[in-house]
Amino acid sequence: MVKHYEFFVTTEDEYYTTYIGDTVKAFIAESGVQNGIVSVVTAHTNCGIIVTEPLDCILSDLNVLLHKLVDDDAEYSHAHFLPTYGRTSANAYGHLRSILVGNSTTLSLVNGKACMGEAQEIVFMEFDGPQARKVFVDIIGE
Amino acid sequence: MVIDMHTFPGFLEEICQDPKRVAFRREQYFLYKQHVWPLSLFVLQMNAAGIDKSVISAEDVTTRAGDTIVSNEEVQKLVELCPNRLIGFASVDPWRKDAIQVLDKAFGELKLSGLKLSPAIQRFMPNDPMMEPIYKLCERYQKPILFESGMTWVKNSPSRYGNPLLLEDVAIAHPNLKMCMGHFGWPWVRETAMLILKYPNLYADTALLYFDSPVQFFEHTFKKDLGEYWIDRMLYDKVLFGSTYPRIEQKRMRKAVDSLTMRPLQRELVLGGNAASFLGLEEA
Repeated sequence: MVKHYEFFVTTEDEYYTTYIGDTVKAFIAESGVQNGIVSVVTAHTNCGIIVTEPLDCILSDLNVLLHKLVDDDAEYSHAHFLPTYGRTSANAYGHLRSILVGNSTTLSLVNGKACMGEAQEIVFMEFDGPQARKVFVDIIGE
Repeated sequence: MVIDMHTFPGFLEEICQDPKRVAFRREQYFLYKQHVWPLSLFVLQMNAAGIDKSVISAEDVTTRAGDTIVSNEEVQKLVELCPNRLIGFASVDPWRKDAIQVLDKAFGELKLSGLKLSPAIQRFMPNDPMMEPIYKLCERYQKPILFESGMTWVKNSPSRYGNPLLLEDVAIAHPNLKMCMGHFGWPWVRETAMLILKYPNLYADTALLYFDSPVQFFEHTFKKDLGEYWIDRMLYDKVLFGSTYPRIEQKRMRKAVDSLTMRPLQRELVLGGNAASFLGLEEA
């Protein structure tokens, strides 16, 4: 059985994190799938999805690290008019941070529950907000 | 107070119920992949950029394309939904036979706060005598005009109509009519600087981005094409913050303005004080 769900995260600032584990777990319960895998993927290229411990200090350290690794104002090539969009890109830093953290996570599903350690939580990370971000949840199993 | 003088509201969900109208906007306004999102998200984006109010403008291309891109009524609807954050500007296609009636309704009935004119998109010369009744009506209602000056990205819009020097005759003939040259008249930025230096009723906004990132483009325009201290020392009461959202995010244009060489009082005027004066908010 394959069940597909979508939901939106409205982010409130340029750099913004929020926990989405409860939403994913609600879809798992709704799906009726007992054993299989769960895939959580964002539809965008300047935000990310990670699994980590839900502590403000961890997210704060990650914020500092990503800003050290990726400068907001470097002389990026991705800073020009995009004729196919009719608008200008100037968000290379968001794309690069997204590439570094990844845009998805996959979890095992056993007896109707996502297999996660006690310290683990799914975190949605915004790198170019505020925006309305779409997230796909695919539950595959039986 | 920070005021963004130059935004386009055409993809706000509250006026996007008709998919054909959204497709028409994407094609006509040359914003092919623009998402539709709710007004509440626009407010979040303003908050994140530290912007208190945004001017949203209609766009009337009836004689050229058969419809408005955004109507005056749609602008009024959005302003009614968010009166503390939005300021509505009307549009009228000067070639319409009922142009004066449309504008009179926009000011008298819809209570919009000013007029947006797009000479290149609407294909008229700002100093054409046919514009006189429109200018006189703006004077009668004491409403300012925001002109699309210089280059527009919109296709089939010849740049010769957007030359800011075409506004000089209008500024002389109508000294009490406040007019703002959008996009700082780019690429005619020196001409724009001359005009706002010389004429008390002419202003220019910062909604210009044609190359590079906003910060880099402002570095070139306001520190190389123009003198680094020209705004700070002389033009500080004639330049208004504008973003050209959603062609670029407001937060990026705000950052670009913040990067310009200005003392705190001058920066405060550019970010909002001048716009408040231009819009007559101080008298409200």
